[in-house]
Amino acid sequence: MVLGAVSAMAANQAERLKEDGNSCFKKERFGAAIDAYTEAITLSPKIPVYWTNRALCHMKRKDWTRVEEDCRKAIQLDHNSVKAHYMLGLALLQSKEYANGVKELQRALDLGRGANPTGYMVEEIWEELAKAKYMEWELASARRSWELNSLKETCEAALNQQRALDMSRTEESSEEAYASHTEQLKALDRVFERAAEDDKPTEVPDYLCCNITLEIFRDPVISPSGVTYERAAILEHLKKVGKFDPITREKMDPSKLVPNLAIKEAVAAYLEKHVWAYKAGS
Amino acid sequence: MTSSGAPSRNKVLSKIAGNRLQKELTEWQRNPPTGFKIKVTDNLQRWIIEVMGAPGTLYANDTYQLQVDFPEHYPMESPQVIFLPPAPLHPHIYSNGHICLDILYDSWSPAMTVSSICMSILSMLSSSTEKQRPTDNDRYVKNCKNGRSPKETRWWFHDDKV
Repeated sequence: MVLGAVSAMAANQAERLKEDGNSCFKKERFGAAIDAYTEAITLSPKIPVYWTNRALCHMKRKDWTRVEEDCRKAIQLDHNSVKAHYMLGLALLQSKEYANGVKELQRALDLGRGANPTGYMVEEIWEELAKAKYMEWELASARRSWELNSLKETCEAALNQQRALDMSRTEESSEEAYASHTEQLKALDRVFERAAEDDKPTEVPDYLCCNITLEIFRDPVISPSGVTYERAAILEHLKKVGKFDPITREKMDPSKLVPNLAIKEAVAAYLEKHVWAYKAGS
Repeated sequence: MTSSGAPSRNKVLSKIAGNRLQKELTEWQRNPPTGFKIKVTDNLQRWIIEVMGAPGTLYANDTYQLQVDFPEHYPMESPQVIFLPPAPLHPHIYSNGHICLDILYDSWSPAMTVSSICMSILSMLSSSTEKQRPTDNDRYVKNCKNGRSPKETRWWFHDDKV
């Protein structure tokens, strides 16, 4: 019983220290905030928020190794911490652990979807994820395009060589042989053009874009009228403009929105194949 | 009456608004609505759009100019749309360029776009049977003297028949 009272006191004190840390953080006194959170952690090491709050301070000071340490600890305590996965992702990207960083951001996005609007971080996470994916795509597509070009040049050279060889054998050059050679070169052009298509940014199909944001869905929800919207956008509309469906104008309540998992999957599949679509305004 | 809404009109666009307008502009350039031409400027917040009266209507061969100003929180707020002088003679268009059209005010929805607004305005022009000003034109225009935005007018909408 005495022990229980002691640990309750410790927990209370840790909470107070967290509050101190939070107010220091608001004043951008990150060193002082870190000290407060560290004390809180010493008293109650099993509270994930203390770890993520401290990680955020480290992040403000760009101390990425410590961000990673604190986030890993927080995830041990709470596998579903959006903030811990998000900051861990950023820390890993900073230390060039590209694939793992993206994985953490994707995990954070999945966990963040559907969260209630307070503390809704989906857009922020999406932006970081999109930046990382787009950068990866730029590098990879430049390499692919270079490979295709040099392969094409080699093929053209081979065809021309073949043509020269044929000509030297048959002595007189026939119209027919010349035509067939040009045809082959044209066909080669088409084949390579087709091969480059996947890497050419075009338009994202309308059915994968929200009618309010006009951008590809991050967290699609479906209205009772059957129209799909970006969650943050439709919630803002219901709050600011009116409680009606923007397309059908039927009356609507925020509680009636349901995640559209099919569209979410379709977006994921599309982005997998067309990584350039991560870039806003493309 | 002072124009209380004016400061918010001059605020810079929010990130969401900027992104969306950029998308709308790209889409417009790819697929412009028939009868409209946008005058390219570097100001994303104010669009000047040329409207050509539809053939076979009272406004055939007429050209007018729309000025569209976007608020900070577009598309959660409607843009301000007016005709630059000379405004077309129409029972729902005042001589100061203000347009009595419900979707620009009470019936705005963030799913509407500049392009869909333009279509609504063109269809409003096309269905007119006489070129004349609204009956309350002089009174209304006098009330707007100090540069009041049409978005601050309390509109009672004319019937839809015209």
